[in-house]
Amino acid sequence: MYGFEALTFNIHGGFLEAIVRGHRSGLLTAADYNNLCQCETLDDIKMHLSATEYGPYLQNEPSPLHTTTIVEKCTLKLVDEYKHMLCQATEPLSTFLEYITYGHMIDNVVLIVTGTLHERDVQELLEKCHPLGMFDSIATLAVAQNMRELYRLVLVDTPLAPYFSECITSEDLDDMNIEIMRNTLYKAYLEDFYRFCQKLGGATAEIMSDLLAFEADKRAVNITINSIGTELTRDDRRKLYSSFGLLYPYGHEELAVCEDIDQVRAVMEKYPPYQSIFAKLSYGESQMLDKAFYEEEVKRHCLAFEQQFHYAVFFAYMRLREQEIRNLMWISECVAQNQKSRVHDSVVFIF
Amino acid sequence: MEEEEVGSSENGEVPTAKQEEEGEQNVVKFLDSMDSYLNLLDSLSSTLRQGWLELASARHSMGASRINSTLFDLKHHAASTSLQVTQHDVDSIMNQPHFTLCKWTSPDNKKVGSEEAKFDEDELLQRKSTSPHLRHRGMQYSEIQEKRLESNRSPRIVDDQVQKERSKTLSMFGALVSPKLRAAQLSFETALETLVEIANMRSSMLSTHDQVQKVLESRME
Repeated sequence: MYGFEALTFNIHGGFLEAIVRGHRSGLLTAADYNNLCQCETLDDIKMHLSATEYGPYLQNEPSPLHTTTIVEKCTLKLVDEYKHMLCQATEPLSTFLEYITYGHMIDNVVLIVTGTLHERDVQELLEKCHPLGMFDSIATLAVAQNMRELYRLVLVDTPLAPYFSECITSEDLDDMNIEIMRNTLYKAYLEDFYRFCQKLGGATAEIMSDLLAFEADKRAVNITINSIGTELTRDDRRKLYSSFGLLYPYGHEELAVCEDIDQVRAVMEKYPPYQSIFAKLSYGESQMLDKAFYEEEVKRHCLAFEQQFHYAVFFAYMRLREQEIRNLMWISECVAQNQKSRVHDSVVFIF
Repeated sequence: MEEEEVGSSENGEVPTAKQEEEGEQNVVKFLDSMDSYLNLLDSLSSTLRQGWLELASARHSMGASRINSTLFDLKHHAASTSLQVTQHDVDSIMNQPHFTLCKWTSPDNKKVGSEEAKFDEDELLQRKSTSPHLRHRGMQYSEIQEKRLESNRSPRIVDDQVQKERSKTLSMFGALVSPKLRAAQLSFETALETLVEIANMRSSMLSTHDQVQKVLESRME
């Protein structure tokens, strides 16, 4: 029954909730970001990060540093924390934690398939895969010629297998089919994750429903904007939207027929939570939309920590760390390109 | 010298004044082309900076796994843009190379590509602030207007095809890419056009420099 998690949650989940709240307190603050934004070189950034939890991961990196090195090492820290939590989790928390990584698994599958289509070396592609999305037979993806083979040879034994039922065809893999496959898989994953959280019930279901609904809506808007002016038909676009969220179903019907950013704005402004996001943008402009969405996402994830005895704190923590890594990537790029005046275009403060 | 004697009128000083005037014009042309060259270099630098930042912004938006060098297509395919180098006669002695960018001239769109190339050549010729002799090199002005009218008859079809070619080039990063990546593509495309303008401007600058040098040497003799 909802409201009585306090009686039993700590038996299995109390230790790990304490661990994740401890990790949360290690997130970079506004003061840290101000120091980082004033750095002149990537070595300065490394020096500032050495005083944070990223210190041990960057201290042995030789100069000259590259932005991708900083991002890789920061990601390694996140992966270590995740694996530490996963190995100590019991059901159903362990399944919940695994669900968090399926998005990265889908990205890795698409990376390998796309790279193979472009005649790239598999080892080179594996090095670029996200560590949270790795699985045993991932290298075998390179031999598949179409989605049916992809499923039969490799993915049938992975957690992504159930998501393939909607996109199995014998058509050869090309750029558009791969993109449709990516978005169809992600749609199926989000819907499955949503159903799993609903089954868990309680505070987890309530908070995760809100977070996943926002993610589904954000994806719908991004798919709409990115498909404007492409060969993707309205019906195909509609099929990529998830079957839940604030925009489902009427918002999706309107988004499916949008032909420019102003029409998207007109649709989204009918929904109060998204009105404030689009109010920050001027007409015809979409450059700052990502930052506006990230700011709203960070706000919702921070609010998840205001309540105890639920699993959403783990999901929120992982997302906040990924946002922090994105911030570090952007700051590093602006410093490396000597464009510090643009650093605040995309940095989203967490605290 | 023979031309001067033949062309001389009752007043023996006219050829000398004419020579001086030509010399001054060459110096002005040289300084103009150098000024344009330096402005174009600045413009190229700022366009490239903008392009690189937009690419980083696209990477931030779409994720590092979607924008990285391992996704570049290594299969053999025709270049979508090519550069033509032609030699033009400035005078009876010197040749000046002229560079023309032919954008989106893949084998599937040869017709569109040649129209786009004509657009580019006309734009480049129009933008030059040098003398009419260089501006309409090898072409009369009326011919340029006629060709522009012909190509203006179907600009929409050309635009659609060009957009398709642009999307095809970006498809190595996926079929649905962020508008930031498209903006980066446009910036780098502009940078490429600026590079060709720089090459033409440099060619013009070196040519006028040689002419000025020749005049100075003949006077010293």
